[in-house]
Parts: sequence; structure tokens; C-alpha cells
Amino acid sequence: MNAVAVSVFVFLFLLVTVLGFAAARWRKAKTLDNLDEWGLGGRGFGSFIAWFLIGGDLYTAYTFVAVPATLYAGSAVGFFAVPYTIVAYPIIFLFLPKLWSVSHRHGYVTPADFVNGRYDSKPLALAIAVTGILATMPYIALQLVGIQVVLDVMGMGQDSGSWFVKDIPLFVAFAVLAAYTYSSGLRAPALIAFVKDILIYVVILVAVLYLPSKLGGWGHIFDAAQTSFDGFNKENADAIAAGQVPGKAMMPPPVAQWAYASLALGSALALFMYPHSVTAVLSTKNRSVIRRNAALLPAYSFLLGLLALLGFVAIAAGVSVGDPPNPQLAIPQLFENEFPSWFAGVAFAAIAIGALVPAAIMSIAAANLWTRNIYKAFIKRDATDAQEAKQSKVASLVVKFGALVFVLAFSKQYAINLQLLGGVWILQTMPAIVVGLYTRWFHRWALLAGWAVGMLYGTKLAYDVPLPGDPTSHFGGPLTLIPGAETTKIYIAALALVANLVVAVVLSLVLRAMKVPEGTDQTKPDDYWADLGDEDVEPELDPYAEPHR
Amino acid sequence: MSDSRPPASPSRGQTRGRSRGHTRGLWIAIVVILVPAIVIPLWVPLYDKVDPRLNGWPFFFWFQMAMILFATSCTVVAFTLSRIADRKDREARGASAGQGRVGE
Repeated sequence: MNAVAVSVFVFLFLLVTVLGFAAARWRKAKTLDNLDEWGLGGRGFGSFIAWFLIGGDLYTAYTFVAVPATLYAGSAVGFFAVPYTIVAYPIIFLFLPKLWSVSHRHGYVTPADFVNGRYDSKPLALAIAVTGILATMPYIALQLVGIQVVLDVMGMGQDSGSWFVKDIPLFVAFAVLAAYTYSSGLRAPALIAFVKDILIYVVILVAVLYLPSKLGGWGHIFDAAQTSFDGFNKENADAIAAGQVPGKAMMPPPVAQWAYASLALGSALALFMYPHSVTAVLSTKNRSVIRRNAALLPAYSFLLGLLALLGFVAIAAGVSVGDPPNPQLAIPQLFENEFPSWFAGVAFAAIAIGALVPAAIMSIAAANLWTRNIYKAFIKRDATDAQEAKQSKVASLVVKFGALVFVLAFSKQYAINLQLLGGVWILQTMPAIVVGLYTRWFHRWALLAGWAVGMLYGTKLAYDVPLPGDPTSHFGGPLTLIPGAETTKIYIAALALVANLVVAVVLSLVLRAMKVPEGTDQTKPDDYWADLGDEDVEPELDPYAEPHR
Repeated sequence: MSDSRPPASPSRGQTRGRSRGHTRGLWIAIVVILVPAIVIPLWVPLYDKVDPRLNGWPFFFWFQMAMILFATSCTVVAFTLSRIADRKDREARGASAGQGRVGE
């Protein structure tokens, strides 16, 4: 425990928390007692704030903790996060303006609204909504792990036999997150995003410029990582051959290239189907802003790549992460060892706040999905504004509890696996949402069946993956063997999506041949090109209003 | 357009044939510019090697960092073209305003 680091951390964290509560009063919101104010921050955000908000969504504990941890641990495919964030933006550029247009013409606020309007199918919309809520939970869990490891490195929650004492940092993280989103909705993360991004940029720039030069330059760092991995592989040659311990490597061997590419593509496709991404995209002012953001956001990717490589920097710096090792601690421990203690405090605050903000945004988006597409669509159609806001607040707490369950129940060996599990699920909504933007060829019931098959198959595959060295364990990783292949593995989400699509195609043909009613499409081809200023295009979406024709 | 089935032709052809005709080439160019930014980063065998190193960085790592710059250039060019295409579409639509939306 370092008093200076802890003081700086606590100061910055309190500052942010106070800002979070003050945010409730920002820009003269009259009341937060309706879903509009609480869930979309009053809808008044310009593109500048939106840019910060989207950055807050994307660069998180995932970037700071989970990705560097996989490189530190010598998982050969860990750097996939870089191609993931490269290909995500051209994909966003192509798909999301269409979603913006159709949503703004028909008043769709969530992907489930769009699916219901497009396919005239409440069950399918329900499936989309449930998937969004479910998939968000492990993603939030990853953020909680991020906060937890910072508190851990600072000396909170020392080794103890009691699971409760050991997990105190987790519960503290959870309590702060829950308290401040409950009181001030999306305004809190928006305002905090400024503080967070400034903190994060300072920390990243110092980390990627100062640390490598202090440790002998990038060339030396790569060599040190390679030497360390070679040493490990030699020492554990027998265990690796027996499959008890995975070998370590910097780069994917040829057999892992499919895994690398599928993790990158799967994550990129999944990214913009999460409820919080859709909320962010739909809150932009016009189609053009989406494209401009897609052109500018890669600036963050460069930092993500350098941050990922801090995993190797930690190896070169001789950081050790306990026994049994917890690679998630690598980056906070690196900061603790190498930075002056006051700056370590700043860095810890950046990581913790950088996890808090997206966790808040994600839980709010998932909560809105519950209120709009489940509560109001199925449970209480004539709900008042106050009832809706209440539902959202409670649902956002429930989602966070769900995330807590994921943290406690699943292995934290690689926190990134939590996010990748969410990806397996959310990707199953792709045929309905993304393909639906282009064509209504799929039959609604075929899409629902494909979704169900993809969800079950994907979950089963993930369940069957044991942790290395523990054959009885489950949910141990994101990869599985390609059927028929002996050694080549692939991201489970991709395999489940193929099953999903096959079922959807076959059943579409069958159902159409049987002339099963296809429902009425609310949308017109023109709607997918509409822009601000066109007839019937709403500049801002009203989350209360029903979607219309 | 109350028919529940989609039109067989590409969707925008039917309602906006005239206005899209001006910019179809631009929109195709935008897709063509973006495709390499998606395909190359996913083509792992292309860059999964150590040499040539750059400043101590294995090829695998510096190539992917360079791909960020490449992809950004692609999206920036595509964005610029999309602005032009949007403006032309808007002008074409302005010209036909008053006749109501085509296809209704």
C-alpha cells in the first residue's frame, strides 16, 4: 500500500464521483423522473460530446487491463484487438448510416424496435432485446474486473481465506457504479467522459513514451518478451506437450491464424450490435456524423495497440503477478513499480474511471431495452413516464448484479473471455439486424429459429471449453475446433453464426414454400437513405413515442 | 409499397432511380475504397512473420500499426466522397421536391 498513490487515486475518484452526481443538474434538466432524461441525457448532445461518449464506450478496462494481460500471458492471439478495432470502423461506416436513417424516420430507439418494424414479429424483437441485455452483462463484468485489479494492486483486499475479504475491491467497485448511475443516468458518464479521456490520454502517452525508453526501447522489449516465452516453453516442455499448460508465444503460429482473424472480425461485427453502441449511434445528429466518427475514431486504435504492447513492457520490466498468476494485474503492477507514486495514483484513477464510465453507459442501454421492448411491449402497455423511468433504474441495477454474477462465477484467468462470451451471443442478432438493413429475404420465423440455434449452439460450445489444465471446468476460452479440423480453432461466435445462418436460410425457403405469412414491413426502401432535413425524419428520437409507420 | 415482399431489384433503384443515378458511381467507389481496409487486416498469413523488422519491431506488430494509418486514410477518403455524394443526392432530390416522394 502506497499512501501517496492511494491519496491521489481517492482524490481523483471522489472528484469524478462528485461530478457524476452534479451531472444530474447539468444543462438544467428539470427532472430525471422520465426515461428520456435519465436514459438519453436529454438528447441534447452535439457531435463533440458524442465523440467523447463513443470513445468512452470503446476504450475501457478491455484496453487497459484485459488486452495487455493476454499479451503478458503469452497468449499468441492477444493482439487481435488491433485488427478488430481497424476493421470495425469501415464496417460501421457502411452499415450504421442505414440504421440511423430508418430509425429516425420511424422513431426506432433500439435494435429491437427496428426488427419489430421490419419483420412485424414481436417474438423476434423480444429475442433481440433479451440477447442485448444478456450479452451486455459479461461486458460490464469485464469492467468490474478492471476496477477490481486496480484496487487489488493498491493493497485493498489482501490475500485472505475469506472470499468476502478477497472480493472487497469488487464490491466497492460495484457499489460506486450502481450508486452513481442510479442517481444521474447518462449525464453522469457524459460529463465524466471528459475527465476520463484527459486522464487516460495523459497516462497512455506517458506510459507508451516513458516506459519503453526507460526499459531500453521497443526492440529490447520485444526481445525480452521472446526470451521470457522461450524460457517458459523450455521449462514446461513436458506439461505443454501433455496439454496441461498452454505454450507461450508473441505471434500466432500458422494454426492459430483462423482464430486470430475470426476473433477480430467477430468482435468488430459484435461491437456495433451492443445496445450501448446503438444508443450512441442513434443519438448523433445525422448520417454524416456517423461517417465522420468512423473516420476519426481510429486515432484511438493506435493508442490501443501501444497499450496492448504494455503487456510485453511488463515482462521486460520483470513484473510478477502472484502465484497462481493473475495476468490481469500486470499493467496496474507495472505502473506501481515504474511510475513515481503520485503518478501511479493518477494512472490507477484513469483505469478505474475508464472502466466505470462504459459500465454505466452499458447498463443504462441494457436497462432501456428492458423498459421499452419487454416491460412496455409485453407487461404494461400503458405505463406512465414515471413508471418507465423507475423500471429503467431498477433494470440497470439488475443488469449490474448480473455482471457481478459473471465476475464471481467465471474464471478471471483471462478477463477478455468475458467480453468474447458476450460477443458469441450478440452476434446471433446479426442476421435480423444487419442483413435486415439490406433485404427482407429472411423469413421472420426462420430468423427466430436461427437465432435460437445460434444461441444454444454457441453457449454449448463455450460451456464445453475447459480451462487449460482443468478438464472439468467450463467457459475456459473463446475458441473451439473447426468441425472436421484436427488442430485449427476458430472463435465460437463465428461457428454459431454459421449455424444460425444455415438454419435461417433453409427455413426461409421452407416457410416461403409453405406460404406462412411474412407480416407487414413498416419500412420502405427510401427509408434507408433518409437524412436530416428529409420529409418525416426526426432530428431527435423520442424514447417515449411509439415507433410509427 | 405496402407489399410485404421486398422489390426484386436493388432497393434504392425503384424509388430513387433518378437521383441515385448521379451518385451510384461514387457510392460504389466508397465501398471499393473501404473493402481493403477490412480485408487486409484480416488476412493474417500476409503479415504473420517476424521479418523484416522495423526499429526492433517484428513485422507482425509494425505492419498492423501501419494498417491503422492505412485504414484511417481509407475512411477519411470515403468520408470525403460520401459528403460529395450526399450533396449531389440532396440536390437531385431538391429538384424533384413538390412532386412528393417518388414511389408512394
